[in-house]
Amino acid sequence: MRDGKILAALRARMAAGGLDEGAAWPAVGLDAGADAQGAVLPGGLASGALHELQPATPADIGAATGFALGLAARLLARRPGPLLWGLPSTRGWREGRLYPVGLAAFGIDPDRLIQVEVKKTADLLWSLEEALDHPSLAVVVGLLPEGDRLYDFTASRRLAMRAARHGATVLLLGAAPVFDMATAASTRWSIAASASRPVPHAGQAVPGLGPPRWQARLVKSRKGLLDAWDLEWNHDTLSFRLAAPLADRAPLRRAGPLAPRSTAA
Amino acid sequence: MLSVLERNGARVSAVNAPAAALGLAPGMPLADARAIHPALAVASADPDGDAQGLRRLALWCQRYSPLTRIDAPDGVSIDIAGCAHLFGGEEALMADLADRLHGFGLTARLALAPTLGAAWALARYGETEMTRAAPGETGERLAPLPVAALRIEAETARALARLGLDRIGLLAGKPRAPLAGRFGPLLVLRLDQALGREGERFDPVEAAPVHRIARNFAEPVVTLEAIAEVAARLVGELAEMLQGLGKAARRLELALYRVDGWREALELRITRPSNDAAHLLRLLGERLDRLRDHAGFGFEAAVLSAFEVERAEAVQAALSGRERVVPPPGDLDRLLDRLVNRFGPERVCRFAPRESHVPERACHPVSALAQAVRHDWAAHCRALHGGAALARPPLLFERPEPVEVLVEMPDKPPARFEWRRTAHRIVRAEGPERIAPEWWAGGEANRLTRDYYRVEDTDGRRFWLFREGLYDRPGDTVRWFVHGLFA
Repeated sequence: MRDGKILAALRARMAAGGLDEGAAWPAVGLDAGADAQGAVLPGGLASGALHELQPATPADIGAATGFALGLAARLLARRPGPLLWGLPSTRGWREGRLYPVGLAAFGIDPDRLIQVEVKKTADLLWSLEEALDHPSLAVVVGLLPEGDRLYDFTASRRLAMRAARHGATVLLLGAAPVFDMATAASTRWSIAASASRPVPHAGQAVPGLGPPRWQARLVKSRKGLLDAWDLEWNHDTLSFRLAAPLADRAPLRRAGPLAPRSTAA
Repeated sequence: MLSVLERNGARVSAVNAPAAALGLAPGMPLADARAIHPALAVASADPDGDAQGLRRLALWCQRYSPLTRIDAPDGVSIDIAGCAHLFGGEEALMADLADRLHGFGLTARLALAPTLGAAWALARYGETEMTRAAPGETGERLAPLPVAALRIEAETARALARLGLDRIGLLAGKPRAPLAGRFGPLLVLRLDQALGREGERFDPVEAAPVHRIARNFAEPVVTLEAIAEVAARLVGELAEMLQGLGKAARRLELALYRVDGWREALELRITRPSNDAAHLLRLLGERLDRLRDHAGFGFEAAVLSAFEVERAEAVQAALSGRERVVPPPGDLDRLLDRLVNRFGPERVCRFAPRESHVPERACHPVSALAQAVRHDWAAHCRALHGGAALARPPLLFERPEPVEVLVEMPDKPPARFEWRRTAHRIVRAEGPERIAPEWWAGGEANRLTRDYYRVEDTDGRRFWLFREGLYDRPGDTVRWFVHGLFA
């Protein structure tokens, strides 16, 4: 009898929005551009949650970092406090280290950046958890070392629960496509570089670079909705926008937004 | 016996008691010593090791008083003013010190006197191994000692001895001016310092703490849990004391004294002065693990010292609820404290702009413990590259990586490049952005002009390439590098 009551109460809580979701933190819209032609991730990206980002191929690390910085910028605009950038000391040699001067493109004030460099993955996860326990942090970004085996469901669950407690968002950036197990992350993204809009320069053989463009594939979502978008970063409004498809010469364009990428590059 | 190699051959640097009885003395050539006693056991001296050991001993002596100093090369001074009663009086303190030093296997000569100079003299030239000069009898006790006991140069001591002035007592009554004129001001200064007519500065091996709480244990403490318990009690007491005074500390040190004379010290540096026992203890607790393998036979005493004590800022109680994100003041500092204490101050950093056009020098990490400063990054970026938002990559290589390029025309971006065994065909490019070398900084790397290009390959990957050197400048070797990755 008593069990039945508890069960009913649990069911009611489940219906009310899940057992493990803490306070609902406002979601961050991914799509704020005026030229949007459709919603990117309807409902937006949950803040106060864990999101996993991975480059589609190891060579897409620049794109994945850019996407992470874009998300971080949108979150930082919503919430006061610093951005904690945690990385293991093994990372940063191959893919470069975060360059504060270059954060201007993402509208991130380098004064809000705190970098923590640790030796082991365990220490990295410890510092991310520790940071999430402090409400003054706005965003926590963790870079997992290459070939990491320590990050698992339990670790992700600890991060997600702590993120929900105070509302800071945690972004985990894998070095290569590492996330292949079930985790407690709200979303998992696979990011690939994409040809930017050409900017014609008079008298130049090759056109100039447009704003950064990525192919963002949502490969896992707690809401169950999976899709892929061609996103462009708008550094004036500090927002993502749906990129108008490039209609120019074939060599620049891949077959379609969802086409599997060749990993040979 | 110890020997040391000098310019003109090996010399004796120290002898033990049996060797001294044979007539050997420091300073004599080793060959002479061997001639006197062929079966001599000789070891080579280790001045660096001695200095280190002496420093350790001086730190260990802090268990008697916070003010200890090294009297190189062979002595330690302790200022026990106001401390003796904690050990049951001066006699008891000396006895305790002598006992412990003997227990470490050290042959020590102790002297206690009202002045540093007198104690120095009595410890080295006194008749017994333990001498104590009461206030008022300093002059009397020093009188029979040789003048070398005054910490003067050997040359002066010899000159005095030639004049028959070989005892301190003979000097004490002499007029000052002729002495100073004949032997220099140092002799008179030392004499006055020894007799207490002139003050002497005491430069401690470590600055004295502002507050200090010490505990001696009845039984040596071995387990980490027990140490943590002791630390908790000491921190609690200190925090209470600081709170009572309205003060807060920026630096703490917990020193643990092991039975065998080893001293372990854990230092805490804190972003914002704190007197919160829970916070301090948590920071300390993370460091205690380091002691796990150092407990040995156990610790017999613990001293918690607070340095850099400041007035505490009034801290308002946090009212933040779950819904509204109002971080309590000092919350970030607490996080930084924990990270710094666990990983070290050099691993937790913020960034500050630096006035340099060379990309890798345009900003530098600063300790997160330093006071957070607002920098004008926008102005810095404008100065660097006119403020163009996309001019700098978010990822930069610490060392630019060399690439193979195919350039169709000089002063044009390359058509393709090969980096990490992958060929990239360039379909978008912007540049060049010329960055002049900082020739005044010196070094080969600062000699050549760099031309930077932002390029994109067929897959949409964006790179920051640069060419070092100019094609049309004689003497320049032109090389290409990739320096960063754009988003």
